[in-house]
Amino acid sequence: MALEIGTNPMEMDAIAARLVADFGDEVRDVRVQEPDTVVARCDKSALKDLAARLKGHPEIGYETLNFVAGVDKVKHIESIYHVYSWKTNTYLELHVELPRGKAEVDTVTGVWPAADWHEREAWDMVGIKYLGHPDLRRILLKDDFVGHPLRKDYVDLVENHPHV
Amino acid sequence: MSDASPARSGLRYPKLEHFSEPNVITTTADFIFSWARSHSVFPFTYGLACCAIEMLSSGFARYDVARYGMEVFRPTPRQCDLMIVAGTLNEKMAPVLKRLYDQMAEPKWVISMGACATSGGPFYDGYNVVNGVDKVVPVDVYVPGCPPRPEALFQGLLELQVKIQQHRFVAERPAGAAVSPVAAVEAPAPVPAEES
Repeated sequence: MALEIGTNPMEMDAIAARLVADFGDEVRDVRVQEPDTVVARCDKSALKDLAARLKGHPEIGYETLNFVAGVDKVKHIESIYHVYSWKTNTYLELHVELPRGKAEVDTVTGVWPAADWHEREAWDMVGIKYLGHPDLRRILLKDDFVGHPLRKDYVDLVENHPHV
Repeated sequence: MSDASPARSGLRYPKLEHFSEPNVITTTADFIFSWARSHSVFPFTYGLACCAIEMLSSGFARYDVARYGMEVFRPTPRQCDLMIVAGTLNEKMAPVLKRLYDQMAEPKWVISMGACATSGGPFYDGYNVVNGVDKVVPVDVYVPGCPPRPEALFQGLLELQVKIQQHRFVAERPAGAAVSPVAAVEAPAPVPAEES
């Protein structure tokens, strides 16, 4: 049952400790960043399994995916999952580092169906390839667009501007 | 009635007090058609960004574009003769805009409303931005502003009225060849001589 908005039965530090205790093998760098947000990192190989377990956790289960962000950190690409728990009314921000040359990671659409369009957008803009995604097409740009414009090394191409 | 456009286009409107009793107007075909056409423009709702809010505002009671006979915003190009492009045109939308423009019936006009539609505006040179809607369709009137106020859009509409009224329907005849079109219609065709 959902709580009243804004109420949280657990201390943020307790949530972070619980994450370390139950998911210590997969997550690292767990810290409380905001009054209602815990940030953690995980390896891309562990993501799919971890996502299902995070969602099904009985006390701090993160049932809802708010959005998936793709970020170009220059040294690497990051896929960031913002998930929300109705059990504690708090957020988890899960960062997954991906190498620039091979920005691929398993999809989480099987766990959180809302990830579908968000992962398409991250593919469209940053060029993260979500393996196993049911329909990985561009979502905002036109289908024959060349490149991924939010990459830091993107150069504007003549091919993308037929109307000159 | 607008007092800006008739003086500038050289056309004079009859005034209401001329009709206090049964009366007759003599006028030209050019005048009456361009007068009617310039005051019954059907705009095509092409709102792409925040300029659309100002375009909608110009349609509501406070500004009321109906004063110029242009209140019938249609959502289909088939019923429109004026396309008001209000907002940023991006590369994905450009072919759609061209297609909808092609579907409009002649005669048709385009107003480029705001900085984005005119040149790309603050998004100039963006990776997915067309730097001006005139790269895709011919534009008749540019309205500057970001976004333009409804008054600015009205100024553009009045300029468009002037442009519409400058159109001449009756073709000019070369001097000396003037023939009354009525006489030409009523003149009997020459009957070829019967061979007997």
